[in-house]
Amino acid sequence: MDTQRNESEDFMLELGAITKSFGKNTILHQVSLRVRKGEVCSIIGPSGAGKSTLLRCINLLEQPDSGNMSLNGNFYDVSFPLRQDELLSLRRTCGMVFQSFNLFPHMTVLQNVVFPQRHVLRRNESEAREVALKLLDRVGLKNKASSHPTQLSGGQQQRVAIARALALEPKLMLFDEPTSALDPELAHEVLDVMRELADSGMTMVVVTHEMNFARTVGDHLVVMADGHKIEEGIPEAIMDHPQQSRTRQFLSAVNH
Amino acid sequence: MEPLLVVLQGLPLTLIVSIGSFIVGAILAVPLSLGLRTSILPLRLICRLVVDLLRGVPMIVWLFVLKFGISSPEFRLTSLEAALLGLGTISAGYLAEIYRAGLQTVPRGQYEASQALGISRPIAFFRIIAPQAVRIVSPTIATYFIGLLKNSSIASTIIVAEMVFQAQAYARQNLSISGVLPYVFAGLLYIALSVPIAMASRSLDERLRKSVI
Ligand SMILES: Nc1ncnc2c1ncn2[C@@H]1O[C@H](COP(=O)(O)OP(=O)(O)O)[C@@H](O)[C@H]1O
Ligand SMILES: [Mg+2]
Repeated sequence: MDTQRNESEDFMLELGAITKSFGKNTILHQVSLRVRKGEVCSIIGPSGAGKSTLLRCINLLEQPDSGNMSLNGNFYDVSFPLRQDELLSLRRTCGMVFQSFNLFPHMTVLQNVVFPQRHVLRRNESEAREVALKLLDRVGLKNKASSHPTQLSGGQQQRVAIARALALEPKLMLFDEPTSALDPELAHEVLDVMRELADSGMTMVVVTHEMNFARTVGDHLVVMADGHKIEEGIPEAIMDHPQQSRTRQFLSAVNH
Repeated sequence: MEPLLVVLQGLPLTLIVSIGSFIVGAILAVPLSLGLRTSILPLRLICRLVVDLLRGVPMIVWLFVLKFGISSPEFRLTSLEAALLGLGTISAGYLAEIYRAGLQTVPRGQYEASQALGISRPIAFFRIIAPQAVRIVSPTIATYFIGLLKNSSIASTIIVAEMVFQAQAYARQNLSISGVLPYVFAGLLYIALSVPIAMASRSLDERLRKSVI
């Protein structure tokens, strides 16, 4: 009993049998996943495998058909839509970074980071600014605070998006292919920020095609195909000795 | 100069009718445009029907209905009220359609980022989505307003003493002088009002667009 509770306290996120379909197509088949506190979990797999959908089920941007979830010690039956207050508190626990950045183009960089703090955490303006400037400094963009997002490179925009999410003090960060829209030279500046975030102890779930990141920063690797979790384990072990033929196919495709 | 002075007396009502009915329309168009996009089918159909009716009815007919059609002894609209309500509701129909088009251009990612951050729906709509939509359609809104400014002259038919009404009255009383002169002045005043609006909207548009696209 005691050991069980301790064990479940080790986990930031536990997904239980998440199933999701769009119309007649089942996109996720009873996917379960456990992410320890402070762990970086990478999800890889071919396009269309359901990686984004799984990630979006975690913060309920997609409503699963059935399944359950435990996040930071709170249990949720996600077979039904949550109450609005539960939903907002769940989303407050997760930060999300999108492939397409999704900064607010009508606000400056600083406002992008300040605005959510004001409305979600109800921080006052000066406190929110202070937090924002500290985080912009952390991602190396304090000098761009008064620029508009469209004046920034993709890599810079993505770093602002990370700062915007961190400003709400999430317990878990979700990344959906954060570097896929970027040229390789710009991708590394984003990956550096993510590496630093991982080193600082943040729990992260990262959908990515960056095998090097998954191998060197990731603690746990999940391989998905056709809406199933087909393999998971220590990144080096899976990359060097994949057990499933689909994993082998996928790895040889990305490595060439 | 007398005909110009007479027409100028109509200027305040021209401005009141056009700006007033624009404001009425701009506000009523918010719920209508949301209704045009709702996933609740009956509500969407009703809003669609209302918008199409408002855009389909000739202004002059609608003004006559409001001014002379409602004639219960205890409730009757004044000419100005009928003009504001009539042109306001028709504007609501057009502006709802313009807003809807603008809202459609805001990328899904903007809604998703707001949701993921835990920003409540009303705040996301009014502070994140709507400002971007309005920036994109602001030239269309300015064009509509210029049209409305000129269409406010239709209010003369229900006895609102705006510029065209004044021109008409003067011309009728001074047939001998030059019947066309007051109309020429009225025309020049409309141009003097709309050209700066068009110019301002173009320069505003360039600045706003730079910060959205
Ligand atoms: N909103 C949606 N409506 C219908 N089908 C969708 C939707 N989102 C994703 N899908 C489908 O779900 C499958 C998995 O998509 P996704 O989770 O984006 O895969 P991945 O991120 O692994 O590339 C794809 O076949 C995609 O077409
Ligand atoms: Mg994806």
